[in-house]
Amino acid sequence: MTIAPRAPRKLSMKDRYSALTRDLDWTPSYVTEDELYPYTKFEGITIHDWSKWEDPFRLTVDAYTKYQAEKDKRLYAVLDGFAQSQGHLSLTDASYLNAMKLFIQGVSPLEYQAHRHFAYLGRHLNGPGPRFASLCQSLDEIRHIQTEVHTLSNYNKYYDGFHSFPHMHDRVWYLSVPKSFFDDAVSSGPFEFLIAIGFSFEYLLTNLLFVPFMSGASFNGDLPTMTFGFSAQSDESRHMTLGLEAIKFLLEQDEKNVPIVQHWIDKWFWRGYRVTALIAQMLDYMLPRKVMSWKEAFNLYFEQQMLGGLFVDLAYYGITPPKFVEQAAEEKEILSHQVYWTLYQFSHAAAFSTSIPTDEHMEWLSANYAKFDELYRPLWEKEKRNVAAGGRHFARGLPELCTVCQIPMLFTEPGDPTTLCQRWSTFEDEHFNFCSDGCKNIFDHEPEKYVQAWLPVHQIFQGNCGGATIPDVLAWYKMTPNDGGEYLGSRDNKNWLAWHDMAEKTGGN
Amino acid sequence: MQFELRTQVIEPQRKTFQHLIDRYGDRPASRYEEGTIDIQAMTNFHYRPLWGPDKDIYSPDYSVLKLTDPYSFTDPRQFYYAGYVTSRADMHEAFGSTLGYLEKRGMFDRLPEAWKGLFQDVVLPFRHYEAAGQMISADACRFGWGTTTTQCFGYAAFDRIGNAQILSRVGIAFGGGTAEALAAAKKDWLEEPAFQGLRKHTELMLVERDWGKAMVALDVTDQLIYALLYDSLDEAALTGGAGSYSLVAQHLVTWFADQRRWFDALYKAWVADPEYGAANAAAIAEVASAALATAVAALTPIAAKADALVGAGSGAALTAAAQAVTTKLAGVGVALR
Repeated sequence: MTIAPRAPRKLSMKDRYSALTRDLDWTPSYVTEDELYPYTKFEGITIHDWSKWEDPFRLTVDAYTKYQAEKDKRLYAVLDGFAQSQGHLSLTDASYLNAMKLFIQGVSPLEYQAHRHFAYLGRHLNGPGPRFASLCQSLDEIRHIQTEVHTLSNYNKYYDGFHSFPHMHDRVWYLSVPKSFFDDAVSSGPFEFLIAIGFSFEYLLTNLLFVPFMSGASFNGDLPTMTFGFSAQSDESRHMTLGLEAIKFLLEQDEKNVPIVQHWIDKWFWRGYRVTALIAQMLDYMLPRKVMSWKEAFNLYFEQQMLGGLFVDLAYYGITPPKFVEQAAEEKEILSHQVYWTLYQFSHAAAFSTSIPTDEHMEWLSANYAKFDELYRPLWEKEKRNVAAGGRHFARGLPELCTVCQIPMLFTEPGDPTTLCQRWSTFEDEHFNFCSDGCKNIFDHEPEKYVQAWLPVHQIFQGNCGGATIPDVLAWYKMTPNDGGEYLGSRDNKNWLAWHDMAEKTGGN
Repeated sequence: MQFELRTQVIEPQRKTFQHLIDRYGDRPASRYEEGTIDIQAMTNFHYRPLWGPDKDIYSPDYSVLKLTDPYSFTDPRQFYYAGYVTSRADMHEAFGSTLGYLEKRGMFDRLPEAWKGLFQDVVLPFRHYEAAGQMISADACRFGWGTTTTQCFGYAAFDRIGNAQILSRVGIAFGGGTAEALAAAKKDWLEEPAFQGLRKHTELMLVERDWGKAMVALDVTDQLIYALLYDSLDEAALTGGAGSYSLVAQHLVTWFADQRRWFDALYKAWVADPEYGAANAAAIAEVASAALATAVAALTPIAAKADALVGAGSGAALTAAAQAVTTKLAGVGVALR
């Protein structure tokens, strides 16, 4: 970097910000630039001028700490008040907490990973502008994991399923879906990580990944989580502007970047979209009081806002909507039902519980989904008869997982919701299965990466998960019989009823 | 007299998360503990990094400095995010009022010429050193093993850019609201012979890929710099009519005392480790000895510059600071060469 020109007059806000951030940088002369930044060449991205990065926000350390400290003071006051007043008793139902169990097990550890890897960008990007923006995001992300843990800490004291979330995140079969997603991003190069997380996760899919939990909280009496959601909102809007600036910066720096970025958009759309399968079933099945259907959420937050807005703008750079997006759009009619039906049968090996939708709930599903009565209601009606006959259904075997997204192979053929979809590729004489064209496409670009995946079912069969029987594996997961299975009659359910009975008798709460 | 508020009493099933119960028993855990202990993923990583396929995404092997149980170390300040930003908001607010006062009363203009020279020619270039401190600490935050250490490194990274901004704001005030003083200081950092030893040392620390070695080298250098610039000149500034120097320096002295609290505890944890203690002590000794020798040589011309300007015994202060580093590390069981 060259010496700043002599300023004859007082600094403008922009120049002052520059003096406090990017002007701190210098071009090294005792080591080479490649030694100083060893990771920014191998992905094939060309950056001609890092100074063209437009700072997406202009926060200095003093302003950041002041603002964030005030936000945290307000948030923790709410958490303390809620805990003191036994606020958990005013949730819609204890079964609501299944959504939050999924959140702390599956999502909060991703915030932590983002904290660590934005620190990597805060060190290893060549430009001081994006380095400082990344460092701020790294700090925000440790805020999010910690405030989420503190928010849910009070529920952990009274309800099951929360108690071993980091241990479970590293091991449990359905949690390898979000874990492998983020491991994939972190193990990518710095620019791909920026597109995977900064752009795709934080911008493209954030309203589908994050917001449904917070909206679900506000509809179900979960004041702490709702307050956390609002408190994180201003952080998230900074992250969104960073992600948007990142993609524009890469696209504007060199035309050769466009096809690389396009593939990352294709890949990370599908990778992120598959993680949202867990959220789709949460929205449609786990919330006692519904916010909106997955179908409606996907239509509004993705089809209207992203395809109808963002991708229109990105077309200027030659970027097209992600591959296989039309399959995702079609799937919004059936996704949540297929996923929940599977989780229902496997919840004896999960740290959340499931139950047959009530009649009222089925009416809502039927009103929101044209194919529900034809395709899915009969399954539940049959299961109701099973339960009445004392035979609640749990799957006995272990499911086959998609090599890429690691979700059980439960998805159906595009255009045919009654035929299971199976794709496969051969790599080094081995056969690998995929749930969809999107996952196969991802594998075929980087087979040497995806063959490394720690697939939970394979690992169980190889004897790496505590033993050969389900109780062995559950013990290795640190799951107790109270953590999963059927909600009705579970310890959470019984306690909930007893506490409310007690509340009525004593006139409290 | 107390009033009797009736609340529903429900016995909790557990007082905290299972991983904390396993470590500390079923007792209420602090927010620091719940937000920190065992939070990092430890196993079953799915893919090797494309940017470094020889190691896992997280691994104790990114440094020779290791802890058998990374959570045997805890931050004596118990900083989780909320505590950290609250503390730093106060620090920066205090600095802001100092700076506001100095500007309002034209205190920088009233400095004796020698002390003006000290600010401009000796202190301001260190904003670039602080920026390097940010990058080294951010790297340790990414590559360390276990959240109790990486969290300290991450906050330290943010502290360092904060320090660079403190020095830069002083520089802007010093330049009458322009970037002139900063530009001159940057030119010195890049070209002035007295700074080249330090800049070379800084750039070499930046390319050290072992985060533990880089952090120890940085810390040894920090101990010299904070003693030389901010501690030892304080008394001379007060007697030499440069009270505004003392007013600025106190904020950096306060910060460094805070930094020492966790770093000294980390040295102790490294050396006391049941499995790696001896190897850690040997590695720290090697890195710290080399860093100390290099940093003393690099800072000697800068101390001479300070002595030529204000004659406050900076050369002697540097020697004393180097001795203090040796004594401090000897105190935790690390014998420097």
